[in-house]
This record gives sequence, C-alpha cells and structure tokens, in this order.
Amino acid sequence: MPEPLLDVRDLRVHFPTDDGLVKAVDGVTFSIMPGETLGVVGESGSGKSVSFLTVMGLITARQAQIQGEVIFEGVDLVKLPKDEMRDVRGLKIGMVFQDPMTSLHPFYKVGDQIAEAILAHRKIGKKEAMDQAIDMLARVGIPRPDERARQYPHEFSGGMRQRAMIAMAVSLNPDLLIADEPTTALDVTVQAQILDLIDRLKQEFNAAVVIITHDLGVVAEHCDNIQVMYAGRAVEYGYARDIYYDADHPYTWGLLQSIARVDAPRTERLKPIKGLPPSLIFVPPGCPFHPRCPYVFDRCRTEVPQLLPVDGHHASACHLSLEDKERIFKEEVMVHQ
Amino acid sequence: METLKRSSRVLAVVGVLAIVATACGGGGEEQASPSGPSTKGGTYRTAIEDFGFTNGFDPTGEYLGTAWGLYSDLISRTLVTYKHIEGVPGDEIVPDIAESWETSADGLTWTFHLKSGVMFGPPLDRAVTSKDIAYAFQRINTKSLIAQYGNYYAGVIEGLTGDAKSPSTPISGISTPDDSTIVFTLTKPTGDFLFRAAMPATAPIPEEVGKCFTKAGDYGRFVISSGPYMIDGEDALDTSSCKAMEPLSGFDPDKFMVFVRNPNYDAATDSPDVRSANLDGVVISIDTNTDDIFNKIQSGDLDGSWASLPPKTLEQQYLTNPDLKDNFHINSGDRTWYITMNLLVPPFDDVNVRKAVNFVIDKTALQKAWGGPAHGEIATSVEPPEVLPETADYDPYPSPNHEGDVQAAQDAMKQSKYDSNGDGKCDADVCSDVLLVSRNIPPWTDMNPVLSEDLAKIGINVKIRELETSTAYTTIQTLDNLIPIAANAGWGKDYADPYGFDFFIFNSAGIACSGQVNYSELGMTKDQATECGPKVLAAWNAATDNGKTPLPSVDKKMDECYGLLDEARATCWTELDTSLMEEAVPWVPYLWATVFTVTADSVTHWEFDQFSGALSFAHIAVNNGLDPTSVPVG
Amino acid sequence: MGRYIVRRLIWVVFVLLVITFISYMIFFVMPSTDPAVVFAGRQPTPELVAEVRHQFGLDHPWPVQYALFVKRIFLGDQYGWPGLGFSFNTRSELKPIIFSRMWVTIQLAFGAAVVWLLIGIPIGILSALKPRSVFDRMAMGFALFGVSAPVFFLGPLFLYLFWFKLGIAPGSGYYAIGVYGIGPWFSHFIMPWIVLALLYAAFYARMTRANLIETMGQDYIRTARAKGLSERTVVLKHGLRASLTPVVTMFGLDLGGLLGGAFITETVFNLPGIGAYAIKSVGSGDLYAILDITIIAGFFITLMNLVVDVLYAFLDPRVRYT
Repeated sequence: MPEPLLDVRDLRVHFPTDDGLVKAVDGVTFSIMPGETLGVVGESGSGKSVSFLTVMGLITARQAQIQGEVIFEGVDLVKLPKDEMRDVRGLKIGMVFQDPMTSLHPFYKVGDQIAEAILAHRKIGKKEAMDQAIDMLARVGIPRPDERARQYPHEFSGGMRQRAMIAMAVSLNPDLLIADEPTTALDVTVQAQILDLIDRLKQEFNAAVVIITHDLGVVAEHCDNIQVMYAGRAVEYGYARDIYYDADHPYTWGLLQSIARVDAPRTERLKPIKGLPPSLIFVPPGCPFHPRCPYVFDRCRTEVPQLLPVDGHHASACHLSLEDKERIFKEEVMVHQ
Repeated sequence: METLKRSSRVLAVVGVLAIVATACGGGGEEQASPSGPSTKGGTYRTAIEDFGFTNGFDPTGEYLGTAWGLYSDLISRTLVTYKHIEGVPGDEIVPDIAESWETSADGLTWTFHLKSGVMFGPPLDRAVTSKDIAYAFQRINTKSLIAQYGNYYAGVIEGLTGDAKSPSTPISGISTPDDSTIVFTLTKPTGDFLFRAAMPATAPIPEEVGKCFTKAGDYGRFVISSGPYMIDGEDALDTSSCKAMEPLSGFDPDKFMVFVRNPNYDAATDSPDVRSANLDGVVISIDTNTDDIFNKIQSGDLDGSWASLPPKTLEQQYLTNPDLKDNFHINSGDRTWYITMNLLVPPFDDVNVRKAVNFVIDKTALQKAWGGPAHGEIATSVEPPEVLPETADYDPYPSPNHEGDVQAAQDAMKQSKYDSNGDGKCDADVCSDVLLVSRNIPPWTDMNPVLSEDLAKIGINVKIRELETSTAYTTIQTLDNLIPIAANAGWGKDYADPYGFDFFIFNSAGIACSGQVNYSELGMTKDQATECGPKVLAAWNAATDNGKTPLPSVDKKMDECYGLLDEARATCWTELDTSLMEEAVPWVPYLWATVFTVTADSVTHWEFDQFSGALSFAHIAVNNGLDPTSVPVG
Repeated sequence: MGRYIVRRLIWVVFVLLVITFISYMIFFVMPSTDPAVVFAGRQPTPELVAEVRHQFGLDHPWPVQYALFVKRIFLGDQYGWPGLGFSFNTRSELKPIIFSRMWVTIQLAFGAAVVWLLIGIPIGILSALKPRSVFDRMAMGFALFGVSAPVFFLGPLFLYLFWFKLGIAPGSGYYAIGVYGIGPWFSHFIMPWIVLALLYAAFYARMTRANLIETMGQDYIRTARAKGLSERTVVLKHGLRASLTPVVTMFGLDLGGLLGGAFITETVFNLPGIGAYAIKSVGSGDLYAILDITIIAGFFITLMNLVVDVLYAFLDPRVRYT
C-alpha cells in the first residue's frame, strides 16, 4: 500500500481560556493518500478548521496544547521547529480560506501578493515571479491576467478573488491543498465553478485536496472520501457514496435531512437538527451527540463510541447496531433522497 | 525729620537691609550697594517678558517709563535732564545740552544756551543744533505722529496746537536765533517748564532722518543718538534716501535691543554725576517666561532684571539670605495705588460717605496682600513722597497702625444722607450690591475680600467684579458705565512735579466719554455730562441737584499753582492736595509702591534712576567684561 | 485626483475667509476694549484716540474693514505681499515677525514630530507583538505618564533638573542655526522637542499598539503566514502597513494643529514661536496680528487635512476621489 501523504494520529488541540479548557479537537485520526480529495464536514465548532490550521502550523504550541502526531511526507509537523515549518507551509501545503475579500491584503496588488508567495520559497527575480503569478492567474481562469495582476483585491469580483486565492495557494505546486470553506462566501452559481476549478487544478498539479465545509451538498461530486466531524471528533468516515447512500450516524442523517432540495414541495419545511452544538469546555459525557440524538439510549450517555469500521473503509462512531442503522437510514432518511 | 519715621519703619521690618536716612527733603532709601570701584566696560545683560512700548519706541510719542530710562540714560540728551540716581535728588533738574538758561520777568519767555560739541551718533557725525531741538517739538506738534503726552506742550508753547500736518511746519513760539540758542514763548507762566524740557520727546531729532517717518511709531526703529550710547547698527544706516533706510539691526521689537557706545560722544560735554557711562553696552532680550529670567540671573546668564516682577518665592529667598540681600534692590516707584470713588454715583456722591470709606479701609491688610512693607509704603495722601515730599507724612484719616478706624468711619457715615437711623451704617438701597471693579490677579484677588469686609462695616455691600488688567482700566475709563467704585488703578508720575501727577486725574479737562482718567469725575460740567449721553446726564443731575450744587473741583486751584515756582509752588500744591483729601475726597490712596530689581554678582555698582523708575543704566557697572555685540540674543 | 485637490484647495481659501470673518466679528462685537483707546497711551484724549483710530484703519465700519483686510491679503499692502498689516503693539510691520515666528514653530513642531514618531511607534509595535508582557506593561505605563504629565509641569521640571541643577543642558531660548551653528541650535531644541513629543509619543504608542493588535487578528495575516512568510515580513509588511494608515491620518492632523502654535512649550522654553505670539496678541488686542495668526494656523490645519486625505488615498487603494 502506498504511503499516506498526511497521517493524523489522535490529534488533540486544547485552548486554555479564562472560562476553561476548550477542547476544539479531541482525538482525531485520519489519513490522506496522495492525489486524494477528502471532504471534511461539520458544523461550526466541530473542530474541522482547527484540525487543519494545526496541520499547517498556523495554530502552534504558543496558543494551544497540542497532542498527537501530524505526519506529513514522513515528518511529524507538530514537532518541527518554526523555520522548518515555514519551508513546508506554502510550498508543500497550500491553504485557501473562506472569505477571499478579507483574506487578501487590501493594500497590495493581487499579482504582487501571489508573487510574494512564490518569492518566499524560490530564489528567483521579481520579474520572473510576477510572470509566474500572471501565469497562475491565467491557469485559474481569470481573463486578461496581466491587467488583473496589477489590480487590487477590491477591484475583483467575489468569484475572481477566490480564484486568485487558489492561484496563490497552488502557485508553488504543493502536494496538499487545503480549502477551508472555499465557497461559503460565494453565491451558488460561482460555487460550482470554484469547485470545478479545484478539481481541474488537482489533476494538473497532481495534488491531494481537503475541502472543509459545513455543507454536505457541496462535497457530493468532488470528494473521494468524506469525514464527518462533531464536537472535535470524527463521527463518520467513508467513501462519498457511503456517506450519501449508506450513512451510519444519526448526525450524518441529520445533515442529509437538512439539505434543502430544489425538487421538494414549496410548503415543506426544512428539517434542522434539534438542539444546539455542545460546549467544547464541558463536552457531554459518553457520545457527544447524545443530547440531540433522536435514537439515544442509555449506553450513549456513558460510553464514548469509537470510530469503528463498518465494512473495511466505512467507519462510524455510534452505539446503534448495524441493522438499526441501515433500517433507520432506509425508512427515515432515504425517503427524502 | 519726617522721612526718618518712614525709614525706620522700613528698617524695622526689612531688617537686614541697611537703610540710610537722607537729608531734609530726602525720602529715598539707599541699601548697601555692591561695594568696590565701579568697573569700566562690560555689558549689562537683562531680559524682559515684552518691551511693552506704547509707541514703538518712537520718542515723539513713547509713553513707557522704562523706555524713558533708555532714552534719558543712554541715547537721548535733552536741554536739561536728571542725575539718574535714586530718591528726591534723582528727581532734580540739572543741565544737559543746555549749559544755562534764563526766564523773562513775566515768566513767558525761556531762553536756553546750548553747549558746543554735543554730537549725534554715526552716520550723522555732526553737532546737535538748536534747530534739531526745535524739530523735535515740531514733531510733537504733528497730528499724525500722536505725541502721547503732547498736552504738556500744546497750548503751552505759542503756536503749538498739536494739529500740524507735517513736522517741517515751524512753530511760532519757538525760535532759534543761532545754532546754540533756542527761545520758547509760552502762552502762560508755566512753573514746571524745565521738567517738560527734560522729557525724551524733546530730545533733538535730525530732520534729515526724521522727515522720512511721518506716522506714529515709525521712527522708533531708527532713533539717532545724541547720548553716550547708540542702538547697535546705527552707524550702518544708509541715510542717502528715505527708501534706503533699513531699521537699525540692534533693535527688533519682537526679540531684542542692543546698545553700544556712541563713538561721537564727548564726555567733556556731560557730567559724570549725570551719566557715568561705565558700561560698554546694554543687551535686552525678550524672555516670555518670568521664572526663567530670574533663574538666568542666578545662573549668571543675565546680570540683572529690568522691569520684571520677581516671583514671591524668590523674593523670600533674597530677603532672608544674607548672602543675597545685596542683590535685591527695593526702590520707591513714584506710584500711588488707590481706590477711586465716582462722584456721580450714589452713595459716593455724598462726601461724608467718601470720608467714611477713607477711615474704614484697613490699609495694613492691603499692604499685606501686596506682600508686606517691602512692596510699598502705606499711602496716606495723593502724591508719592518723592514727587511732593511735603505731603509724605500727611495723613488726614489716621488710624492705629493704619488698620482703619471703624468708629471714625461710622461717625462720618452718620452725617451722610444715606444713614437715616444714625447707626453709622448706610441703610439706603444704593448701598447694596454696589459694583466694585478690581483685577483678577494677585494682589488684587487677595485685596478684594479685605475691601468687601471693610466696606460692609459702614453698611456698603459691594459686588466685586474681577477683570483682566486692561479690561478693568477701559471699563472705568468708559463714563457711561458709571462704575461707583474701583480698586484696580494705580498712577505713576510723568515727571517729578505734582502737575504731571495731578492734572489729568483731577482736572475736569481729564474727563471724556471714553478713555478718560479722571475716574471720579471731579469738576465735571453739565456740558461734559450732556455730551456723554442721557444716562450720564441723569446721574450728573442727581449728583448736583440739577446743577445747584456743582461737583467739587480743583481746576481753579490748579491754574493758580500752574505758573508758580519753587517754594510758592510747593506750598500751592500742598494746599491743593490737602483740599483734595479733605474736601473733594475722590480717592482712598493706599500704597506707594516700590520697584524691585534683582542683580547678579557681576554688578559692581548699583544705582536706581528715580526719573524712569528702573535701574540707572547711566551709572550701573558690571565686571563681566563682555562686548555687547558678542552676547547671543537668539 | 487632480480635480479633487483643486476643489479642496478652493475649500481651504473659503474656510480661511470664514474664520477671519468670524474673528473680525468677535473682535468688534464682543464687549471689550476699544483698541484705539488701548493703544493711544496713558492719557487718551479724544483727539489722540481719533488719530490712532484713523492710523489703525479702525474708522470704518467693521464689515468694510474686513473687506479691506481681505483685499490686502490677496493684493498686498504697503509692506509687500501678502498684506499682513502692522502690529498695533510695536507699530512695525507684521510680515517679518509672523514669518520668523512661524519658522521657529515649524522647527519645534517638526522636530518634536520626528521624536515622537521615533519613540512612539516602535514602542507601540513591540508592545503589540508581546501583549501583556513586562515590556508591554511598562510601555503602557510610560504612555499613561506621557499622556497625563502636562507640558507646563514637565517643561519647568526638565529645565530645573537638566539645566539648573545638573548643568547638562543649556537653558531656554531659541538659537537660530544660521547664527549660532548646529550645536547650540540642537542643544536648545532637544528639551522642548522631548517635552512636547512625550505627550504625543505616548498617544501614538497606544494607538499603534491597538491598531497593530487589531490588524494582526485580520484574515490576511493568516494568509500571509499560510504562504510561509517569515514572521518579520508578516508583521512589518502586512501588519504594520495596514495598521499605520490611521496613524498617518492622526499625524497629519496633530502636526497641523501644532503648526498653529504650541504655546505652552514656547512660553516655558522661551521660544519665539507663533503660539506664544498668539497669546500675546490676543491679550493686548493686536488685531492684525491676531488675524494673521488665525490665517496661518487655519491654513496649516486645513492644508494638513488635505495632505492627509490625499495621502490616505495613496496608502489605501480602496479609497478613490473624483
């Protein structure tokens, strides 16, 4: 079996605050193979962003208590000294953020910002870096890239800005591209374009991609694997089709049921998941989802369910029996598919 | 003698300072001067917060006492002058440019004979002639040059009206038969004419320079010297044409004044009693921070103060430290501080009330508010003691220790029409909320509660209005305001004759609707009241019972004294002042203020100029050996 | 942009006209002293006062005087251009006084500005990078002191300590560099610069700190780090650049205000600047001097407003003027 590109083992990221210890990520284990697209889905506070910010080294031991391992191309990034981490960040792992308007520096031209990313890791001339930046803008589908490179972020439309951010993130041909909510701030028509772009670039650059999102609908066609996170933990993992057609966790079911569908009758109400996300300081004992779970029983309240494989690849962290899971899925969730 | 009483009082309180009583008629104080021979050379470096010139240093109009010191001590010789020393001898007239003079029997003609060899400074290099002195008077006569004390000459010298359009217009009453003779024809005998001939406005002005300056103040930056010193840069003046003349480099009205020796000065034409001319120069710089000035004197960057008031803490330091006492000089300032009462405004329209006020005021407390006896002697009459020594000890309203005599005050009040029940306190409405104008800075802020309390003892309840200095003056100068009583004012002499002191403040000629200084409205006529509006006329009518009982006036007596000389004059003025204090009673004089000067150890000889009321540049000596042009002035 | 600048410059002129008009109005309408009387000497007879009034140009109704004044400013008067008139106090022309005093104030203001930027901004940066550290607390303590200790306290304290007692600094006064050389000029300015700058340095340290802390929390900082840039580049190029724009704005306005005269510093250190002159002129009712100073101060403040706004457009590309 080929080596995983990224191997995260029992990652815990705890933030000490005046109110208590915030357990943003509390025991997450997964791996990504080269060239794979992983979708990471969950609500705000599920720990999906924090996990990958930690992978990037943007959350450090200065701000949080970090335990576990983040092995990237054989090296544990958690233990890597700062300056060596900088050689990884931007060069081997690129990251795209949610709001391209605030994520790009308003005072510098777009081309310069991309060129800066290149120059941080390559010793080439300014002009050459700029040429490469213009080239990247072309590759992400921005027309008249040489003019656009000399413009400022506020002169770009929302979709174009995100393209530019993506260009910046992939400009050095990283092995892993992390996209944190890349389409959330964009409107629907643009969303699809961006996701297609990511796909295309992935092919061109032969990179692995992580798409972090709260929207299950977004990742449907673009991810190989999907990890569902809740309260700092992974609660389900599997191939995309496993999640959509054979989900095995009540939270995932809730997510599937809450997707708004174009073909549903107009008068049908949206079906949200009951209750509120849990406090990450005082995480509920046992299964963290149990206060909101419609299928909760006694065991759920005391025993933490482990992420156990269901059939080799597909895993879920729920005490319900496999039969119950399949039955509930067919009768109550599939109905709406 | 009378003066001993005053001197011993000062001695007792000031203590450490050595006071020597002077001979009869003397009233000045001498302290232990820095001893040793007067060193020649060096520069007296001093500073002042602001020059404060009233006419840009143009002598024709300049009215500032300290400026007169610069003229008379340093650069402007006059027909006659003073010895530039302290005390009564410092107020005596001595020859200067004129070596002798005669008066005609009828007192109308004065003939002066000029010395030869009195020279103007470079670039003029020529002798002063009688025509130059006549020219100075012609400038006084010119309307546009605004001779601020021109009234001493206009209407006094024949043909001098103050209305001339140009200074080249000759005056009929001044003739110059030759270069060394000048004859004045007066309209009436004028007893103090010599004093008027010693004023800086009459110092010779060369027409070749003066003709270029026909607006008030302009000549001030170009003053040509006739004395032992000159303004630095005078020799560089380009007199080829009016346009070519640039202001003398040694005088920047915003920054500094530098005086250097006049190379053309011939000491043989002068007297060392009048001008020792020890210094090589004087440098005055502007320093807006008073504390800084005195710090610099202590650190040796300055040789002494000029006209700045030392901070109270410094005063304490110097007065109590035996090593420093020689450097702190207290001199009589020839100035009276007084409370003025308006004869038009009840209750002060009643002379008994005014007498009561004179009795009730605790002058010792007021003196204390000023800082104690070092700041001045308690004034009991109008004239400062050096101006009229005969009234120095005259006290028509005595009280134990000058603390006020409430009983006597109430007795006086009983006789007024405003005390209907005879209890010695005013009970009329006009005695409540009486507006009293004062100043808003110390010592007035400390005096005001004393006044309030004292006046309440005779039933007068005052509402004190504390105003900024110049606002206070213009408020009481504006007749229409009808201010009943004011404590903000002081009055200094112009020259050491009571006429110069009394005329404008007590003569009805000094009354005007605005800008007047006869605050009491002594001798006001109906016409004057009418001119100033119905409000003033109504007040006048009320105060004089529609003209039936005219206001007290000293106009006639003043005319009488005007032409007298010597003893007759002194007697006449004494009578006038006595009648002022006892019959007209416009004032409560309370302090004859002193002047403080602080010097550094570099001053080897100290002298005070009684005429100018400041240190005597004519006699002072320093041992710093500095050249005036080398002193930094910023 | 060019059109915008022209429009703003016209506005400057308009503002100056309005403030001088108001000054005239205040001078003549407020119930205070008649300047002719004040300047006519000790015994102001009516004739004397009338002559003074005529020479001072006060014998027209004040709106007419105002119109004449405006005309002279634009066209010059007997002393040249611009027509700044003459001083009632010294009877000499105002132009050299105003210009030389303005020059002193400019030296004071710019010198102090350099000092406060050199002190305040680095302290602010270091504090922002290490919030709540010992350095930060000391720096903010210094800021509190600087903001609280007034010039009229610090100034004399410095003079007393460093000049009078220790003798390591020279005393007060202005020593022009052309006349006395760079040594005396600098040594006499260093204390007034520091005393004046302390207040501003403190304020700028706090402001820089607050702005930088806020900026460092922005998303684009995270992006910069994600690119793998060195922390120094992230702070100085990305963080500081964005946080300094409000500082630049403040700086322009502070400097403009100072150019109107730092009168306490000028008085304490005996520097013949425009601020001290303003106090003197207002106190004595020297009309033309007051107006000239009003124009100069107003001019600098409105000009600095314009400079700052234009500068802002250069610093922040999102801002565009038409």
